Amino acid sequence: MALPLPPGLTQPEVAFLAEMELVTIVPRQRLESIALLSGSTPPLRPPHRADLPLWLALLLKKQRRANIVPPPWLHPTSLSEIITRETKDNPDAFSDPPPPISRAHPSQPGRARRLAESEAGLSPPFVPSCTAEAPAGYLPYHWLEVAEALLAHAGDDMPVAAGEVRSLLRDLVEVRAAKMRSSTGTLEMFGGGLTSLRGVGAMELAESRGFVLGVVDGVRKLGASAEATRREEEEAGGGQGASDDDESDEDMGL
Amino acid sequence: MDIDDILREVDPTLHEVPQEKRDLQDLTRAWVAERSAPELLNWPSGELFERINDNIKRQIERVEEMTGDMDPKTNFALIVIQTELERFKYLVRSYLRARLAKIDRHALHYLSTDELRARLSDMELAYATRHQALLHNHYLSSFLSSFPPALQNLNDTAGNIAMVDLPDLESAVFIRLLADSMVSGRGVDTDNTFEFQESDIVILRWSDAKPLIESGRAELV
Repeated sequence: MALPLPPGLTQPEVAFLAEMELVTIVPRQRLESIALLSGSTPPLRPPHRADLPLWLALLLKKQRRANIVPPPWLHPTSLSEIITRETKDNPDAFSDPPPPISRAHPSQPGRARRLAESEAGLSPPFVPSCTAEAPAGYLPYHWLEVAEALLAHAGDDMPVAAGEVRSLLRDLVEVRAAKMRSSTGTLEMFGGGLTSLRGVGAMELAESRGFVLGVVDGVRKLGASAEATRREEEEAGGGQGASDDDESDEDMGL
Repeated sequence: MDIDDILREVDPTLHEVPQEKRDLQDLTRAWVAERSAPELLNWPSGELFERINDNIKRQIERVEEMTGDMDPKTNFALIVIQTELERFKYLVRSYLRARLAKIDRHALHYLSTDELRARLSDMELAYATRHQALLHNHYLSSFLSSFPPALQNLNDTAGNIAMVDLPDLESAVFIRLLADSMVSGRGVDTDNTFEFQESDIVILRWSDAKPLIESGRAELV
């Protein structure tokens, strides 16, 4: 009964999460609203677009009831722009995640404002980062899974040949995998206790989770006695007064 | 204050996320957190599970009613409803199983103090207590009874070594920040505090991440 999996989401579980991302579809048939557990679906009226979760969009696509509008960031120009940014502009870090959700102001079109606190509680896969309104040039958290699913099942809905998108995606995967590997360099320095992987994707995390956490935990266990000594010294030093601080800083530098 | 704030005051539900979507977000977050955290987390408050279980039950009843209908239009709706139902059931099941795995591994630990017991739901508490009692009886009848009485306990702390296994609260986790905040982490060489932005992914020790998660400023990924 108990789940035999180690801590941390596995790849199939990440793919399951990614299927909850909202995507935009163009229905080819009318379909009344369906009352689902996660809320009612919008009634589908061709040719009006609608936002649906990916799993439902794929189901409609398979039955040829709808076409999927690929998100703007999956367009070849957007992908090449991201690749340039990842290789030339910022070769050491992942490119930035999409900016926080903003919504066009209803009374003042064109002016976007941050969502209210109550709405900011949403996070991927429930923020609309894969719909037709998503910003181009930013990879959302579930970019790889959504892109793969769309290429596999809705390749004919791409604005250009699916092969071109696929080869750009492959380049991007390789560039970012190299960064993930080189991030072990920072992991070795994990003495600081905090490491940021801003902009990393869910699948990339799932792939290297075991390795990264293994390194971090290994370093901690190897350094456990050194750390305990340091804490004791700091506590003792703190009791003696602030004048000793400089000295102990120098010690740590050595 | 702009027009949106005024509208919100008049009608607080104006831009609110519907309850169903919020529940799904909460359930998903709870599942991911339980799958990633090294220790058992609190049973979700606010009757989240009662609500979700009721909804699932009601949806199953609807499916049973609809299966009698052979109209092709409702037929497709039925497929969609059943697919979604399975997805929900998978989430709930995987969440409960992840919790069971942790309870099984450290049953004595989670039963040891009232504070830890409060993390378990009523059913989980009943399960853990009963399971532990059966296990202890089994040990007693198969070998413990031939030990001297002083050595028959399962939770001795003699010789400075506790027999009760603890989850490793210092193991590293990945978190995503839900709001800009200061994060402090303890490391082997130094302790650091940095300012991180919303949607940053950070690796740190679970014991340092826990206050952030509990205050809702971050989530496990």
